[in-house]
Amino acid sequence: MKTSAVFSAFLSLLSLGSAASSEVKSSSTSTTLPATFKPPQVFKNANLVHVISVEKNYVKENINVLVENIEKAAQHEYFVPFMADQMARLGGVEVKDRKDSTAGPFVAEAVEFDQESDIQYLRIRFPKPLAPGASQTLGITYYLLKAYKPLPASIKQEEQQYLSFSFSAYCPSAYTTSKQKTEVKFPTSTIPDYTKLPGSGDAKEFPLKQGSKLTYGPFDEKPAGATQPVSVRFEFNKPVTHVSRLERDVEVSHWGGNVAFEERYTLHHRGANLSALFNRVKWQQSQYYQPTTFALKELKFPLRVGSADAYYTDVIGNVSTSRFRSNKREALLEIKPRYPVFGGWKYPFTIGWNSDAKTFLRKTAAGGFVLNVPFLEGPRQQEGVEYEQVQIRVILPEGAENVQYHTTIPTQSITEGDVEIHRTFLDTLGRTALVIKARNLVDDFRDRELTVTYDYPLMAILRKPLVVFGSAMAVFVGAWLVGNLDLKIATRK
Amino acid sequence: MSADPLQVLASAGKGKNTRGLLRVIILALIVAAATASRLFSVIRFESIIHEFDPWFNFRATKYLVANGFYNFWDWFDDRTWHPLGRVTGGTLYPGLMVTSGVIYHALRALTIPVDIRNVCVLLAPGFSGLTAIAAYLLTNEMTPSPSAGLLAALFMGIAPGYISRSVAGSYDNEAIAIFLLVFTFYLWIKALKQGSMLWGALCALFYGYMVASWGGYAFITCLLPLHSFVLVCMGRYSTRLYVSYTTWYALGTLASMQIPFVGFLPVKTSEHMPALGIFGFLQLLAFLDYVRSAIPSRQFQTFLWIFAGAAFGLGLLGLVVATSAGFVAPWSGRFYSLFDTGYAKIHIPIIASVSEHQPTAWPAFFFDLNMLIWLFPVGVYLCFQQLADEHVFIVVYALFGSYFAGVMVRLMLTLTPVVCVAAAIAVSALLDTYLSTKSPDPEENQAVEGAEGKKGAKSGLKATNKPMVGVYATWGKGVVVSALAVYLLLFVLHCTWVTSNAYSSPSVVLASRLPDGSQHIIDDYREAYQWLRQNTREDAKIMSWWDYGYQIGGMADRPTLVDNNTWNNTHIATVGKAMSSSEEVSYPIMRQHEVDYVLVVFGGLLGYSGDDINKFLWMVRIAEGIWPDEVSERAFFTPRGEYRVDGEATETMKNSLMYKMSYYNYNNLFPAGQAVDRMRGARLPDVGPTLSTLEEAFTSENWIIRIYKVKDLDNLGRDHSSAAAFERGNKKKKVTKKRGPRVLRLD
Repeated sequence: MKTSAVFSAFLSLLSLGSAASSEVKSSSTSTTLPATFKPPQVFKNANLVHVISVEKNYVKENINVLVENIEKAAQHEYFVPFMADQMARLGGVEVKDRKDSTAGPFVAEAVEFDQESDIQYLRIRFPKPLAPGASQTLGITYYLLKAYKPLPASIKQEEQQYLSFSFSAYCPSAYTTSKQKTEVKFPTSTIPDYTKLPGSGDAKEFPLKQGSKLTYGPFDEKPAGATQPVSVRFEFNKPVTHVSRLERDVEVSHWGGNVAFEERYTLHHRGANLSALFNRVKWQQSQYYQPTTFALKELKFPLRVGSADAYYTDVIGNVSTSRFRSNKREALLEIKPRYPVFGGWKYPFTIGWNSDAKTFLRKTAAGGFVLNVPFLEGPRQQEGVEYEQVQIRVILPEGAENVQYHTTIPTQSITEGDVEIHRTFLDTLGRTALVIKARNLVDDFRDRELTVTYDYPLMAILRKPLVVFGSAMAVFVGAWLVGNLDLKIATRK
Repeated sequence: MSADPLQVLASAGKGKNTRGLLRVIILALIVAAATASRLFSVIRFESIIHEFDPWFNFRATKYLVANGFYNFWDWFDDRTWHPLGRVTGGTLYPGLMVTSGVIYHALRALTIPVDIRNVCVLLAPGFSGLTAIAAYLLTNEMTPSPSAGLLAALFMGIAPGYISRSVAGSYDNEAIAIFLLVFTFYLWIKALKQGSMLWGALCALFYGYMVASWGGYAFITCLLPLHSFVLVCMGRYSTRLYVSYTTWYALGTLASMQIPFVGFLPVKTSEHMPALGIFGFLQLLAFLDYVRSAIPSRQFQTFLWIFAGAAFGLGLLGLVVATSAGFVAPWSGRFYSLFDTGYAKIHIPIIASVSEHQPTAWPAFFFDLNMLIWLFPVGVYLCFQQLADEHVFIVVYALFGSYFAGVMVRLMLTLTPVVCVAAAIAVSALLDTYLSTKSPDPEENQAVEGAEGKKGAKSGLKATNKPMVGVYATWGKGVVVSALAVYLLLFVLHCTWVTSNAYSSPSVVLASRLPDGSQHIIDDYREAYQWLRQNTREDAKIMSWWDYGYQIGGMADRPTLVDNNTWNNTHIATVGKAMSSSEEVSYPIMRQHEVDYVLVVFGGLLGYSGDDINKFLWMVRIAEGIWPDEVSERAFFTPRGEYRVDGEATETMKNSLMYKMSYYNYNNLFPAGQAVDRMRGARLPDVGPTLSTLEEAFTSENWIIRIYKVKDLDNLGRDHSSAAAFERGNKKKKVTKKRGPRVLRLD
């Protein structure tokens, strides 16, 4: 206990002292701080605009804040507070300088201090310290998964689905905020319920409603940690698709000149449950009269051009309701679940396809190989898709070494990256597999790339044919030797 | 030896070696053809397990692979036969699962990690290749003609009678059992011919494997003693017979008793008694043989009579006592139905309800065996001409097999090997005779005849002067050979056609054609099973007719009340009763069995004939067998004796749970008054049935599977019908009559 406290104190000291020097791509993205930690009041939020988008089935939040260093020393760490339950659902944090897009990387990572505390912090580390009195405009973007509750929780098959979402009208901040406003963007202008707040300034009452947008604020100065809970309820007659686990395998074959993809989805619908059980007659009729529904009917996967041999199966075999169009311009895989997926229902499935290795694989001048594949290639749906757990496994050929990877996915979402051994067809040593685990991603990241570099020596390339040839020869020689043995019991003559 | 084209080719080469190589190549090609012709369903659909029973075998195999052999052996499956459960390890033939488990692990060891499903799907085609080789070996024991074996292998490889049970995905016991059957017979013949203990032991080994694989092992258990008995009756008792039979029986019986499901049956049931009897009989014969060599023949006569009488009397007495005391079980019902085809229909409807237990219709023989069926008697006749011990076997097998194939459709399978062997003997005899390019020379013949004539003249009878028999005319040869070639080609065409059209449907997936000719797959079964699997509780009990038990267990992974392992007639009758009674009667039954969902198959929308309404009478019959007072088959027929589902249907029919579940909500799919059952061509009443104790939970896209949820007890303590009536009444009150409230007030 004591040593760990000392250790953590030391660590925090270290990180305070030499933040810039550590440019680690470590697998863990959290740092331990003492349990009594409170962000030092060294900043002031001069102006803050909080944009919450609930247009898709995850929440995208964007905090644009002008921070001022009010301390005498230069500062390089800015803390953003989150509720403890939000922290587990938080993903894809990206921080930019709104004024200067070239300003180096802002590193965002969760701070580990008191597990019990309601408030948890995300620490943003500036690329270069902010001088006393200077100010900087931060653009903090992040996503919250599993953010909504259907209200009513169960509805009839043909009814409209409404979701509710609770948040704070004052943007949660660890610092005093002089001026702020919160905008909420909705998918439609049907927002039957929202919390009304007494207005200030020229507005009589908050929020202001403009089409499918609600605006709370501007508010005057609020102290650090001020909250004002509000909730909104809005129409969302689309499936609330939630992938609780996605396993994506990318298998590279140098001999076959092929990169094979396979993705296994565990898909849930987090929307409203059915109040009466599924009625096929109504469903069939609604297909003609009122095609929009909150049930998930179809998923569309735009794959890379040149993809081939797509398949779509689930645990009991092939699913015939899919269409794959592959031509020079596109490769679109359209799949339908076996049954329409309503709220509370689950539908796990597997898809896969092949691609020419030339599209993804390149040999470097130094003799190594570079593989560049999309990190995510999930469905592109109008309503969006969220992924809670993602595991990418890049299976390289047997004998590949010096594996390194780089991805443009926000580091906050990457939880683990390991090199493992995967044994499959005709392997003696097993294939090198790079396993990357990520969490809380959304389909906005589907075009982000994953670059893997590795070496693949000639002997490793020749290993498999030699092993197969050798063992076949061994069998033949063995058979010949056994065949030559005389096992007959000699009869006396 | 005469020459077929192969040998002509071969003789052009280096003789024996070239022939051997050619034979191996041909055999390999036959094996490839046998395997390939069974892959229609994989190519057309996918690598999927077919039909019903294979789903259980597949599930058991998965369990074996996942949990190891000993756990499999001790497996108690609580997900079937709820609430009874099933001691699966002790009530199945493990041969099939163990075989695929061994193949699976062997491939893994060779670093080829194939999915267990693919091992299971491709097991039957793989083993049919082996069956072809076994048929080749068996036939080679019968005839010196080297072509007969190859023909037999070819016939065996593609005969539809065997393909029907061994297409890819048909992962049933028969998949490996037919190979074992033929191979055991081959080893038996080999043992008998050589009087070899080694071959006898091998025969016993494969017999043991067969016992571990298929209930049809009784066929071997009865056929080998019968063969021996016939040989003895023909006066062909020999030490060869003694050695091979006793070796086989002693080791084989021991081997068979290792299977928990068989256990002590070989010494306890009547089906196994012939084998035991012949075993004893052979001991007596051996003893007599010994005595005869030891004492003079006159005394031996007396001794023989006394001895035989005493032995027979004692044996009979022993059997009667053992049977009446219960040591030996009398013949089982299934066995009786083999002798009286009407027996099952009266006494055990559950056996009769299975279509493959019906007597064979005669066109089935032509369908399944095509030209082999008329070549078959020729082959048997040719066996009579030589009639060595092994030919007697073919004759006995042919008689025995033909009889059983006539009794039960399913046993066509055991007839097929002997048909193939006999037909191959016939065809090869024809080919050998007519394919000889060398015509006998009449001149030379004359000379021979002349030489013989002198000897013949002494006997004085002209009839004894044999003219030289041979085919002289080349055109005659040409006609016969080309006719035979055409027949063989037609046979191949027929086999391919039958395999492709009749035997390659997975039956889980139905194929239909869209107007533009493209294939459309109707996948309702899996749609519903997947829904059950994903969206119901892990231990939700599903009630359905027993046909779907294995599929629900395999695909939906949910506990079932009854399944295709029909060992408990009463439990099945309970389900039958629940389906055929009114809701008031069914609901308590379902509650008692903790049923959560009820699954029915309905073909009315699509015109699918294998649905539950068509099977319904069997449910009624089986339920009636147990509860004759409560369920009556007559009540489901109109006074004119028709089985109707439309407005004219009887009240019992309309009130039965099965009828209600099938047609519930169905009329809403059509404009008023136009609801039609396309399967039975019946126009349904305007007002559909109402359900009060069940609610519709899921219906598949083409309505083939309908799943209902059993309602929990009413919250207000009302019974379900009044609760449902209240709900309906609420809605009705506004629009229609005002009778509702008045009735309430009266109450």
